[in-house]
Amino acid sequence: MDFAAAHAGFVIAAYGLSLVVLGGLSAHILLRDRRLRAAARRLDGERGDTRA
Amino acid sequence: MTMQYLANPTRFLRLANALLPYLWALTAGLLVIGLYGALVSSPPDYQQGETVRIMYVHVPAAWMALFVYSVMALASAVALIFRHPLADVAAKTAAPLGAAFCFLALATGSLWGKPMWGAWWVWDARLASMFVLMLLYLGYMAIWAAIEEPHRAAMVARIVALVGFINVPIVKFSVDWWNSLHQPASVFRMDGPTIAAPMLWPLLVMGLAYTFLFLSLHLVAMRAEIAARKIRQIQIAEIGER
Repeated sequence: MDFAAAHAGFVIAAYGLSLVVLGGLSAHILLRDRRLRAAARRLDGERGDTRA
Repeated sequence: MTMQYLANPTRFLRLANALLPYLWALTAGLLVIGLYGALVSSPPDYQQGETVRIMYVHVPAAWMALFVYSVMALASAVALIFRHPLADVAAKTAAPLGAAFCFLALATGSLWGKPMWGAWWVWDARLASMFVLMLLYLGYMAIWAAIEEPHRAAMVARIVALVGFINVPIVKFSVDWWNSLHQPASVFRMDGPTIAAPMLWPLLVMGLAYTFLFLSLHLVAMRAEIAARKIRQIQIAEIGER
């Protein structure tokens, strides 16, 4: 890749945008998964304690 | 492995947890190889120069936008016909991923169009049908967000996903059916690809990398959605016990 070539800015912008969108989406999905599974485990534990 | 076997969320989660490390590893490996091919080893185009490198992120994003909508429609059909408990979860969690790929296809296409066509956007058949696909994704997601009762939301969402599927072949064949600034199909053709091998293999590897990224994120999103539904069930049960 020749970064001094004509229109190189468009190529960099396309790869940068792809990185930001896919990276952001991945982070959002992974964090939501972690948060919800922790909350489910906590609620499960609390219900177990109540029944015991 | 039967579809009924995976209807049990516990079995599905066990399988997903076992598969995910391999899927992440495959995704990372394919992305590294694909990006090396796209940015280092593949030559510039004799007409487009370096700008052709946008193809390696634009085309796989467009493939995935169509593939993910097909997954959504298939899952919606399975939910409608077989009442498979995880089919709605699969369709609902695929939508934001498909919308992201569709947005990337439109945005990177625009970044490719400006230097090559001299315009950020033209209303040709391929672009217009991709724009409709984006609206279908947004509409599908809006249904799940707007209708509070999950069964009613699922029923409306299934119908929208299935009706909207008619747009998928329109996007695919738009370049053959109507005059378009887009070139005709050059990879998936009856008589074989028309792209030179040094450009074809990075494109295919990037396509595989995007596919495995989708599969990894989809399994994680489904796992999160199953946890969200479990939380809702526990909260409803607690209200009932009071």
